[in-house]
Amino acid sequence: MVAAAMPDLQAAVDDFVIKLKRRQVEGSLATAKSTVLLLRQVVSHQRIPSSGPASSLIDAVKSVGSRLIAANPMELAVGNMVRRVLHIIREEEATIVAAQVGVTPVSDSDDDADVHGVPGLSAVALAAANRTALRAPSLHNLLESLPTSAGANVEPVPESDTKSRSSDKNSKSWKLKHGVIDAIGLLLGEIENYHSEISEQALEHIHQNEVILTLGRSRSLLHFFREAKKKRSFQVFVAEGAPRYQGHKFAKELAAMELQTTVITDSAVFALISRVNMVIVGAHAVMANGGIVAPVGMHMVALAARRHAVPFVVLTGLHKLCPLYPHNPSVVLNELKSPSQVLDFGEMSDCLDGTDGSPVHVVNPMFDYVPPELISLFITDSGGHNPSYVYRLVAEIYSPEDH
Amino acid sequence: MGMEEEEQVIGDFNRWRQRPELAEAVAAIKALTAVIQRSQASTMMGLEIELKNASEMLKAWDRSSISLSAGCDLFMRYVTRTSALEYEDINAGKSRLIERGERFGDISLKARETIALLGQDFVQDGCCILVHGSSRVVLALLKLAANNGKNFTVIVTEGGPKKTGMEVSKKLSAAGIPVTVIVDSAVAYTMDRVDMVLVGADGVVESGGIINVIGTFQVALIAHSMKRPFYVAAESFKFARLYPLDQQDLSISTGQEESSNPARDYTPPHYLTLLFTDLGVLTPSAVSDELIQLYL
Repeated sequence: MVAAAMPDLQAAVDDFVIKLKRRQVEGSLATAKSTVLLLRQVVSHQRIPSSGPASSLIDAVKSVGSRLIAANPMELAVGNMVRRVLHIIREEEATIVAAQVGVTPVSDSDDDADVHGVPGLSAVALAAANRTALRAPSLHNLLESLPTSAGANVEPVPESDTKSRSSDKNSKSWKLKHGVIDAIGLLLGEIENYHSEISEQALEHIHQNEVILTLGRSRSLLHFFREAKKKRSFQVFVAEGAPRYQGHKFAKELAAMELQTTVITDSAVFALISRVNMVIVGAHAVMANGGIVAPVGMHMVALAARRHAVPFVVLTGLHKLCPLYPHNPSVVLNELKSPSQVLDFGEMSDCLDGTDGSPVHVVNPMFDYVPPELISLFITDSGGHNPSYVYRLVAEIYSPEDH
Repeated sequence: MGMEEEEQVIGDFNRWRQRPELAEAVAAIKALTAVIQRSQASTMMGLEIELKNASEMLKAWDRSSISLSAGCDLFMRYVTRTSALEYEDINAGKSRLIERGERFGDISLKARETIALLGQDFVQDGCCILVHGSSRVVLALLKLAANNGKNFTVIVTEGGPKKTGMEVSKKLSAAGIPVTVIVDSAVAYTMDRVDMVLVGADGVVESGGIINVIGTFQVALIAHSMKRPFYVAAESFKFARLYPLDQQDLSISTGQEESSNPARDYTPPHYLTLLFTDLGVLTPSAVSDELIQLYL
């Protein structure tokens, strides 16, 4: 059920959906921030009923979230942020419930384990329910039966906004809402600062007189290099990243920082990889199995690096971490951009429309999928991690019911 | 605990086992729950001891079944944890345990359905799946995918010398899935046209590797070298507290006869892509985490 939202909120949501559809919001950072801000608005505008406050919040966020995700399925950061907020809501509820019963909470998903009778429940939700049910009965699990009684210790009050609500229920929903809003504020801060968190680790990874290779352009990488430049001298090979040629722009930025930069074509990567100490790149998204979605050409660089035993390091913020696997039908791994970036329309217009024989097709994919075996290390705002550790990060920041 | 009690436990177990759809571990859990119901113990400790004895008897009955001992261990762990909490009287504790036991049994029974739901997402239209060994979970998964209208073909290894593959191929045909049977030695030859490999497991070990019918390791090696994904479908009660370092470790822990004619082998986690379990889709590295959660 969609929240009985005030017209401003509805307008804000529609506005954002349109922006996403038209791809006017670019880049995972901007998208993530706008999504979180919008969801915070949704949460604060949502009128919370006294019974089941969390589920009404969850429903509201889910309905807005599914619209946003559908608007731009390629931008996985939107879905990630929606799921983060849902996880925050569930955690806040668990904390409040546990506090009410006077026990320190164990952080885990607390949703009903009684979902087996419900047909058509998603497989992942079932799996989550199994997990909680199979866990050895801990104090936290015993609380499963208690939340309903805790909520029922006040006589029922008709749904209204008036202040005649009993203080118990009022404080619980109020606490939940404000807890969620605070936590979302923290999330926002985390997203905004991820660049600096990652750059702090720069000195550990870049050593004196190293040669580093990268492809295309990455803002986190820029900050990373800037930090390392303070104490180390090294040089960078930038593969231009056809057909968008973001590498050119990146090389200019690096040169402005007085870093020794060399621009090479993508095809030259294999030839030069043996002279390189390390490959560091940014990613568009990280999947739950540790694979990444990165600008086109990255898989080739990863293969070259593997072939020559060069470490392939990926810089990523946790907001890019997606809890889905790449096989998942709802995950869109690639987008095709306009072929005019590859071939000028004028040059080949006669063979493009098939006037001389069969037409020439031009395909311009935007992304590449790099499997986890080719990646040596992820540097995230929570530190350096192995690709096989990604499942752990996913488990910490997302709830399985929301996948 | 007398001979009579022992017979009853084993009798219960065998009765449950008769039902072909029931996994061994689930039958064991049901038998152990029945022990709780029959128990005359007046303290939780006493009940625990009775259960421990019953569990030992079941394990001794069939030493080589890993899922049986894993299931028993898991249930005992469950019980010990519950009994550690204080209950006012033994009856409240017992009923709590019975309720938990039934719930455990139900979950394990439904585990196959959950795994089928999760795994059938991975089956895409037009793909070719290689199946090795005879696993009811894998069958359930493939049947569900077929029922959901996916078009795919299956290649089944013969599974010599008992030729278990023929049974599997019959069942798949009956479900309307196009099947081809190949000899075990032809796996490398066919791996070219295979999109993914799917097997079940007798046990999942702490490292994230699996113990399965002999030949699984071979298929995994071939799949890995030809870069085909290797998926394992296994229920969570098959997670065992074992850590074999090589194939010989396996025969020691399960007491199977010397390696001249082994029935099972161990596939290290390095060759597995993903595990479909009723606790979710896991990477091999996530298995030990889940094990700790289950056993702690």
